[in-house]
Amino acid sequence: MAVTADGAVLSAERELVITRIFDAPRRLLFKMWTEPEHLERWWGPAGFTMIFSRMDVRRGGAWTRSMQAPDGSVIRKHGVYREIVPPERSVFTYVTDDPEGNPGPETLVTVSFVDLGGKTRLTLHQAPFQAVATRDDHLRGWTGALERFAEYLAASAV
Amino acid sequence: MFPDHLSTTYAALADPTRRAILARLAAGEATVGELAEPFAMSLPAVSKHLKVLERAGLIARRRKAQCRPCRIEAQPLKDAAQWLEHYRQLWDESFDRLDAYLGELQSGKTQDGRNR
Repeated sequence: MAVTADGAVLSAERELVITRIFDAPRRLLFKMWTEPEHLERWWGPAGFTMIFSRMDVRRGGAWTRSMQAPDGSVIRKHGVYREIVPPERSVFTYVTDDPEGNPGPETLVTVSFVDLGGKTRLTLHQAPFQAVATRDDHLRGWTGALERFAEYLAASAV
Repeated sequence: MFPDHLSTTYAALADPTRRAILARLAAGEATVGELAEPFAMSLPAVSKHLKVLERAGLIARRRKAQCRPCRIEAQPLKDAAQWLEHYRQLWDESFDRLDAYLGELQSGKTQDGRNR
């Protein structure tokens, strides 16, 4: 019996993928996600008000945001940045607390930006952290990120 | 707001062997022996994984039969999928706002909009 180590039958239950094309250059999109004054202008559903926001955009840095819903309730979300690769990628953990302040399951969000010549294709993956991040995945992810970041620095120094 | 069992479900799904067991069970009932076959694992090791899956409600075992075959239980997986799916709407609404904000920035209302 051929059984893959990671049953495809289960993948749909474990990962959310959203793609959208924005009519803006990639660097601008990246800024929207990494600079607080921009992010606070669009983050969250319509009708919600940002009442607290803090983000330390670097590997290992924390982010936390509290939003007030139209019904007055406050929803807090928080996480830690795992990878920041300008202008192509941002990876962070994402947790939503319940109204009593108990954290919900931790998910891992990967936002990537592909340059389409003036436009940008944004792809967002969201997956339960425990189910996707084995220790090995972590190591590969970190090494890859560092290599890409080094390349990026080298390229921008020219 | 969050069903407690979601964490249990995801903890159970975190292991590749357990996901493979579930993938096998998605094709139909199986005994512990049948489940152990594709893996280089002892029966007790497989049984341990099955206990985790059973506690998470992801599988059920028939009591009557001697060999106690396992079958997959779809509901927790459905709940997990639904929970993740509610984020889709959240992102879609955020992206609509992002789209509008980018429009504002690029129409020249803000200096910041142009960037190399």
